[in-house]
Amino acid sequence: MEFIHNLTIKKIHQGLINREFSAVHIVNEFFNHIEKKDESIGAYLYLAKDDAYKQASNVDAVLENGENVSLLAGIPLAIKDNILIKNLPATAASKILENYNASYDAGVISKLKKAGAIFLGKTNMDEFAMGSSTENSAFKTTKNPYDLEKVPGGSSGGSAAAVGANMAAVALGSDTGGSIRQPASFCGVVGLKPTYGAVSRSGLMSMASSLDQIGPLAKTVEDAAVLFQVIGGKDEFDSTSVEILYGDEITNPKPDEIKKLKIGLPKEYFIEGLDDRTKTEINLAIQKLKSLGFEIRDISLPHTKYALSAYYIIMTAEVSSNLARYDGVRYARIANNNSGRIVGTDNLLDIYKKQKGMGFGHEARRRIILGTYVLSAGYYDAYYAKAQKVRNLIKQDFDNSFKEVDVVLTPVSPTTAFKIGEKTNDPLQMYLSDIFTIPVNLAGLPGISIPVRKFGGFKDLPVGFQLIGKHFKEADILGIGQLYEQLDSKNY
Amino acid sequence: MALIDQKTIKYLAGLARIEIKPEEETKLKKDLEEILRYFEQLEEVDTEGIKPMTGGTLQKNIFRNDKLSVKQKSNPEELIKAFPDKEGRFLKIPPVFE
Repeated sequence: MEFIHNLTIKKIHQGLINREFSAVHIVNEFFNHIEKKDESIGAYLYLAKDDAYKQASNVDAVLENGENVSLLAGIPLAIKDNILIKNLPATAASKILENYNASYDAGVISKLKKAGAIFLGKTNMDEFAMGSSTENSAFKTTKNPYDLEKVPGGSSGGSAAAVGANMAAVALGSDTGGSIRQPASFCGVVGLKPTYGAVSRSGLMSMASSLDQIGPLAKTVEDAAVLFQVIGGKDEFDSTSVEILYGDEITNPKPDEIKKLKIGLPKEYFIEGLDDRTKTEINLAIQKLKSLGFEIRDISLPHTKYALSAYYIIMTAEVSSNLARYDGVRYARIANNNSGRIVGTDNLLDIYKKQKGMGFGHEARRRIILGTYVLSAGYYDAYYAKAQKVRNLIKQDFDNSFKEVDVVLTPVSPTTAFKIGEKTNDPLQMYLSDIFTIPVNLAGLPGISIPVRKFGGFKDLPVGFQLIGKHFKEADILGIGQLYEQLDSKNY
Repeated sequence: MALIDQKTIKYLAGLARIEIKPEEETKLKKDLEEILRYFEQLEEVDTEGIKPMTGGTLQKNIFRNDKLSVKQKSNPEELIKAFPDKEGRFLKIPPVFE
C-alpha cells in the first residue's frame, strides 16, 4: 500500500502540523500516483500542477513560520469541471466550452482557497452534468476503479473515481438528481448532496437551477463533514443560499444524541428492480445500524413511483432555458476561423443552430428538445405544471414521514456499477439508475451515500446506502454515518 | 396526450435553435416517444388543489439593495479576455441586421 492510500483530511493535517511531511511532498505524491494510475481510469480532464505546487509552497511557508493553519490547508482536492476556478479550463466536459477558461472563482472555491486547500485538477463528468455514467463526456470515458470495464457512475464520475482510486484526498461534485451519490456508491466512496440552499451555486454551471447542489465526495463520512462545513452557508452571489452556520455538530456528533434518531425504511424503495447483491448489502447496513441501537421503522412515501417522471419534466425544462446561453456569441465558439466566426455562415440564426448542433452531445440535445416540448404552448399544463404539483406531493410525503422518523434509509441505486456501453442507447434505462436519489432533489433535502463496507473494503463492486435527512439537518445523516463507519467491518 | 412526430421534432429544434441532422431525427423521435409514454403515468396522480412547487425550496422572493456590490466577482478586463472575438476593448458579435 502506498503512502497516500487511506490518507484522510485529519491524517494529512496531523502530518503537516507535526512536520512529518510537507504540503509540497503530499502534492508531489498525489501527482505521481495520478501519473501511474489515471491512464487506465481517466478521472481527470486537466491537471493544475503549477497552481497546486504554488499553493502547497504557500501552506508550507505558513507552517514554517509556526502559524496555525486550518484543517483544509494543504489538502489536495479534485474539482468537477462544471465548477469554476479562475484562469483554469472549465468545460463541463462539453465541446461547446472546449476552449473556455473561467474568469472568476465559484463561491465554494473562494471559501476553499481561503482555507488553504489545494486543487489538483478538474475531473471528467457527463456533459453539463447530464448523465449517470460519465459516458456523455465529450472528451473521454472514465472507468470504475474497482472494475475497468464498468462505469464509475455519474455525472460526477471523475470526482468519485479520483477519490476511489486515491488520486485525490477529497473532491467536489454536483448533484441534480443523484450525480454525487450514485457515483459515490459505484466507486465505494462517501458522497453528500446538501440541502437545497445549504451551499452556494455561484460559479457552478447551471443545469437545473431548482435542483442543483454542490457537495463533497470523500473516503470517510468524517472527511465529507469537514469539507461540507467549510463550503456551506450564505453567499451573496447566490440568492437561494441560506443564512445558516454549520458548527461543531457536523464534525463532532455526540453519539448519545445521534442514537436517539429514528430511522425509517420506505417500502416503496425496496421493490422489484432492486438487484439481489444490492438488497443483501443494504440489509447488512440495516443490521449494523440496529446493532448500534438505532430504532428502525417501516414508513411509506406513496408518490415515489412518480418522482422520475416529475423530475425529467422539471429538469429538462430548466435545462432548455439554462443551456440557451451557449449560443456561439458568448463563451467559446467552435469551428471558427481566425475571424472568430463559424465557417460558412454570417447569419445569426444559422450561427446559433450550427454552434449548438455541433457543440452539444446527444444527451444534451435530447434534453433541450424534450425541455422545449414540455414547456411549449399546449403541453405546458399537461407536463410542466403537472410535474410541479407532483413535486409538491413528493415533498409532502417526506414532510409527513419526518413527523414519525428523523432520517430515511434507502438504497442509492438499484444495481451496482454497470458495464460501459450497456445503457448508452437506452436513455430511459439510464434514467432509472437514479430512481432512488431523484426524490431527494425534488424535495430539496440532504442525502448522503455511504459505502456499506469500509473504504477499500469491498472485494466485489461497491454498494452504498442512502440516508436522507430533514431540511438543513445534515448533522443527523453525517452523525449516523460517522457512528456507522467507526464499526469494524470485519465483524460483519 | 399526443405523442411526437417528425414535424414536431423539426419545430422544436427550430425553437431551441439547434441543428439536428436528418438521420438523428428518427432516433430522437423514438427516444422522446418512449420517454413521453413513461410520463403518461402522471395522469393517474390526483393533483386537485395541490399547489405547484416552483423552486428548490418554498422560499419567497429575496431582494437586495439596488447598489453595486463591492465584492465584484470579476473585473471587466477579465470578462473581455474571456470573450471569443474582440477588437481592443470592443466585443465582436455577428451582425443582427442585414
